[in-house]
Amino acid sequence: MTRPVINRRAFVTLAGAGTAVAFGIPAYLPRIGEAADAIQIGVLEPYTGVYAAQAENETHGFEMAVEMWNKRGGAMGRKIQLVKEDEQNDPGVAAQKARKLINQDKVAALMGTVSSGVSLSVSGVSFTSGTLFMDSGGHSDDVTGKSCHWNVFRTCHSTWMETHATGYTLAKHFGKKWFLITPDYAYGHSLETGFKDVLARIGGEIVGNELTPLGTTDFSSYLTKIDAAKPTCVLVLVQGDDYTNCLKQMNQFGLLKKYPVGGPQVELEALYGLPPEARQGYWGIEYYYKSDLTLGKGNAAAHQFVTDTIKRYGKPPTARNCFAYVTADRLITAMAEAKSVDPVKVAHAIENVRFSSIYNGAGGTYYRKEDHQLMWPMWVAKIRPDGTPGDKYDLFDVTDIQAAEAIEQTVAEKEKVCKLGYP
Amino acid sequence: MLHDLVPQLFNGLVLGAFYAIVAIGLSLIMNLTGTINMAHGSFMTLAGYLAYSLVLRGTSFWFALIAAPLICVIVGVLVERTLVRPLYKREPFYSLLMTFGLSLMAEEIFRLIWGSNGVPFSPPAALAGATSLGFMAFPTFRIFIVAVLVVAIVALAFFLTRTRFGLRLRAAVQDTEMIAALGTNTQVLYAVNFGLGIFLAGIAGVLAAGMLGLSPTSGNALLMPAFVTVIIGGMGSLFGSIVGGLLIGTAISMTTLFIPAASEVSMYVLMAIVLSVRPRGLFGEEGIFG
Amino acid sequence: MRARRELAVFILAVVLLACGPLISPLVHLDISILSEVLVTTLAVLSVNLLLGYTGLPAFGNAAYFGLGAYGAALSVTYLHVDFVTAVLAGAAAAVAGALILGPFLLRRRGIYFGLLSIAFGEIFYFIAYRYTDVTGGEDGMNFPRPPFGPGLAHVAIHETQFYYIALVVFAVAMIAFRVVVRSPFGRTLIAIRQNEARVRYLGLDTDRFIFVALLISALLAGVSGALFGLLINFAYPLELDWHQSGNFVLMMILGGAGTIWGSLIGALIYVIGKDIISTITPLWQIFLGALFVACVLGFPRGIVGSLGALRRRRPVDPEDPVSSEAFDAGAPVEVGRGV
Repeated sequence: MTRPVINRRAFVTLAGAGTAVAFGIPAYLPRIGEAADAIQIGVLEPYTGVYAAQAENETHGFEMAVEMWNKRGGAMGRKIQLVKEDEQNDPGVAAQKARKLINQDKVAALMGTVSSGVSLSVSGVSFTSGTLFMDSGGHSDDVTGKSCHWNVFRTCHSTWMETHATGYTLAKHFGKKWFLITPDYAYGHSLETGFKDVLARIGGEIVGNELTPLGTTDFSSYLTKIDAAKPTCVLVLVQGDDYTNCLKQMNQFGLLKKYPVGGPQVELEALYGLPPEARQGYWGIEYYYKSDLTLGKGNAAAHQFVTDTIKRYGKPPTARNCFAYVTADRLITAMAEAKSVDPVKVAHAIENVRFSSIYNGAGGTYYRKEDHQLMWPMWVAKIRPDGTPGDKYDLFDVTDIQAAEAIEQTVAEKEKVCKLGYP
Repeated sequence: MLHDLVPQLFNGLVLGAFYAIVAIGLSLIMNLTGTINMAHGSFMTLAGYLAYSLVLRGTSFWFALIAAPLICVIVGVLVERTLVRPLYKREPFYSLLMTFGLSLMAEEIFRLIWGSNGVPFSPPAALAGATSLGFMAFPTFRIFIVAVLVVAIVALAFFLTRTRFGLRLRAAVQDTEMIAALGTNTQVLYAVNFGLGIFLAGIAGVLAAGMLGLSPTSGNALLMPAFVTVIIGGMGSLFGSIVGGLLIGTAISMTTLFIPAASEVSMYVLMAIVLSVRPRGLFGEEGIFG
Repeated sequence: MRARRELAVFILAVVLLACGPLISPLVHLDISILSEVLVTTLAVLSVNLLLGYTGLPAFGNAAYFGLGAYGAALSVTYLHVDFVTAVLAGAAAAVAGALILGPFLLRRRGIYFGLLSIAFGEIFYFIAYRYTDVTGGEDGMNFPRPPFGPGLAHVAIHETQFYYIALVVFAVAMIAFRVVVRSPFGRTLIAIRQNEARVRYLGLDTDRFIFVALLISALLAGVSGALFGLLINFAYPLELDWHQSGNFVLMMILGGAGTIWGSLIGALIYVIGKDIISTITPLWQIFLGALFVACVLGFPRGIVGSLGALRRRRPVDPEDPVSSEAFDAGAPVEVGRGV
């Protein structure tokens, strides 16, 4: 292949036609299957990248909620329609896609995101344009903390809630001398701060804290230090692929047999990638499909949600399905209540309204008015390494439940950093 | 801290052995044709996934350890003949870009076939668990990796020095024109050389899947250390890749001991230093890339 | 004659681009993505200068891009500067980076230069990622878009105004770029690409020329990064990663290395194409990868380059298919025929 043969005429024609088609496509895209009077809600999820599995599950949750509403005739007599965009786990792309959804697709609100960086970026863009943004899956404290806005609500638990829910439980079961394996970036640092706060309150000690930099695939150098520190338990704070690597390696070094292990959070998606012998420990979970403690005894809606998800998608819902479902459901409820899609009215309609949902929320859960964080319980579960015969997804024994108010910062503390700034 | 030193050192050397396997494959491909294979990590991930699928269907780990890399070789040679060959005449950075594009495609394809979740893959029971080494308990699987490296090096050395083909390969690295003039089919040479590099990538991939996790993005994380190894050890020198690998592994584990925050970036710093001071690396040959 | 034709093309392009806000709703694109195209073009220009014209594999320009973004972000967040100052701060950060890295980079050529660039880029990436307190770490930095200038505090910059600011910067950059590459300095760069040893024999200190090219390139990339940060009101570490550098290189190749307009065309196709394809399918990465592969294999001159080659009816040299004005053998030294 020494010389590309380009017929000049063909080239110019092709280029011209290609450009015309390419630029023409977007003009037609949204018209496909669009109902004239529907309420459009934008969905931003990382369909490509490391969180693709979470993105998929969140989308399923959104879809189920929207379907349920549309069966009832929609909100204010209008059907709901989701417009999905791939934010690619990239804050820059997310900002552009958010703008596209807001300005071109004219969505009434935005929902979604998994990574904190993306959540923060979208939060900023949506604030500038005055559009509602429901952060279903981004955990950073800042979203309802120093970067909070009147138009931003957050469903999943904050990082602070994660550390406090698990911290109290782990101290109860395994003593107060902890060895931390912390990812050396923003999320890890917040986790570290949270756990330190817990220990300060109950009088414990961090005997070792290994900060593992970005890109660490091999944890052996950190694991060899555990024995010398003599902890009562080891906390693994790393997430995603790193979590899998770390636990696998801990197992290979025989550490899982020696020390109890736990952590602020585990996503089922990550757990599935772990071989059975490495599945150990007590972990914070934000939802579980098969426990009275998480679903609530006799909670028909919760059980229905699980059954429906299994029927439709062939696998039980993870926390991600739950976040998304609750997010969409509450958003549309607020629109129906406010009889409007005006962001300010809807925002006020979401705040402080108590509701019960597809999880165990005795007493009613609510999006707190001061910072727009959903106040709902968090749970701690022990992994069942061999799973359950007959259900390969059933890996947890849920052991503890922690009430939201006990594990999240108080209103007074939050008000110091969060100024909603209603227009 | 001193008694932390020995386990860390050992750890580092073993890690280095792993990087060395990857680096040798990369180096082989680079030496002969100047092809910079940014898709090397993708081939590693492919081998891991293939091994996972094979074991899922009931084959043994050992069978998968050989079969998966062999399948990768077939894919690799196909890639070489169709996509890499046209770039031989051009500067190396074209192959870098092309293989980079390939790695982007590969990641998405893996996601399509095996899902975006990580998949569980473990070493067989015989290699699981830890062996007591006196000063520490060490994962048996990692010791196995060192063993594989030793076997690979011996086999490669034998191939390159004792077989006819290996001789021709070495000659071609020195002077391709001459050996073509002497009647050797250089196209076959290129293909086999590429295949050999991919085979090593495949073995490394299966080993990595057992030691670390396996997900569509696994390969990327392992690619950069391998490149750094080749550069530090020296382009054009397989021995350099081994030494480079051990150096990197040790550097990372030692920095972890003293300045943990810098451990992952330490290899880039090393790379920058080597490139500034002695770009051909420790054992590299002058003139490979000018 | 040629200069007049070039001027006409330039004016036509600027006028067309000035109609952006009118055209964009028709093709269902947000005006901010057109801003992104213009801003990204500057980064592609920076790569083009080093790689297309001087022949140095510039795989680390994302470092300057990122420095620009963070320079703007930090100056707005901590020093509360206005828009113009933020851009200048970003540019200064990028140039400072080049001043520091330059002496190291200068010592090598060819692929070593490229790998060294990648290494430095990665080091900056790790720094941005690690120092959460300053840079926000992996979460990135949100920062507001400041008003345009001192005394204009009431003038907020919305998307349309931003677009026109970007257009002005783009136009200035293009003019400056053309001036540079057509000047004796630029010609020397091209000559360095063809045969550096020969240039040295002629008594010129190639290191100095390359260093200046590096600074200009960093300046362009820094302005680009600062503007991009101000566009999305965000700065994040991924902007420094070598994948980002790779994207700039792809855009340059798509459009045409060694051509003046190639940078814009490449940025246009990549940014808008990626936006459209990613809306249609989550498999956009396969298309992107395939585009890389296809471009490198069959289309190394890029669009503008191929058009130019077609007009001149010259065969593509397999060993160095990059097009560049004074590159064609046999073309008169003074008048290399550009697009």
